[in-house]
Amino acid sequence: MRQPHTVALDSHAAATLRYIRACMEAAGTVAVSGSAGVTMGAVGLLAAALASSPALRPHWLIVWLIAATVAALAGGVLMARQASRQGFTLFGAPVRKFSLCLAPGLFGGAVMTLVLWQAGDQRALPGTWLLLYGCALISTSAPTTRIVGVLGSLFALLGLVTFLLPESLQNIALGCGFGGLHLAVGILIRRRSRGSED
Amino acid sequence: MAAKTSARVRTEAPAFRRAGKLAVVSGASRADGDSRLDRLVYERVRLGMMSALAVRDELTFSELKALFDVSDGNLSAHARKLEEARYVSCTKSFDGRRPKSVYRLTAAGRAALNRYLDHVEAVIKATRRG
Repeated sequence: MRQPHTVALDSHAAATLRYIRACMEAAGTVAVSGSAGVTMGAVGLLAAALASSPALRPHWLIVWLIAATVAALAGGVLMARQASRQGFTLFGAPVRKFSLCLAPGLFGGAVMTLVLWQAGDQRALPGTWLLLYGCALISTSAPTTRIVGVLGSLFALLGLVTFLLPESLQNIALGCGFGGLHLAVGILIRRRSRGSED
Repeated sequence: MAAKTSARVRTEAPAFRRAGKLAVVSGASRADGDSRLDRLVYERVRLGMMSALAVRDELTFSELKALFDVSDGNLSAHARKLEEARYVSCTKSFDGRRPKSVYRLTAAGRAALNRYLDHVEAVIKATRRG
């Protein structure tokens, strides 16, 4: 029978492994998946093309909301896959920090969408989306990489410019941001990672 | 930078405090030199430093201090021991007027950490088999 003050060897070794893992997770950063950027960019470009077609132009808001959902899901899955490859658990410190940094900006965007839609001020939506998404990305640059902060700044800048654009050009601005910027940065990250991603 | 003050490592203190040295795993022979090196890696803060440096190219003294919540003197002493064993390299510079020490894991340090991990895994396997 085991004495109350003895520690089983395997439990001690397992605790050591847990400690090593905790240290790695606490020190680690989330590597942004280039594939996630490329996929989200492709969805953004497709949404911009669909929303500018004469048949779907009156429904541009629905098109972009569906695109946002699809892009978020695809990006989330690809980021989770990347984190898993690095040996981080989905609820480990780096992924948790990333989610906590991203969530307030996205929540603000969702609330503002509802408020502006109810007020009938849909003209302000594209600028608001780009600006708040940019702010969310700037926050996530802390547990990720500097390039995410740069991407966020570009989004925020584009958002400010979009507020000044006429309504006819706002869909193009959304395409440039959610399509073009995502795609460009995704390709850049993939090149930097030199084929470490699938 | 990531891993700032909030990213402190949660410890498994009771198990570590009560446990003594690692037992030699049957079938895993170690030379005297390796035993000495194992003891160097075994210490909690040093093991943490090496684990953290294994997933980051480099960490500054301040980042390591925030990560492990230890005093300057304590961290310096541990870092010096790892430097003397050539497990980590340290680059000292100035950030404005403030001195800045940046630590990196060397190839020897990575090999020692891998050896240690192999040993811990072997302990688990051997204990569960028996």
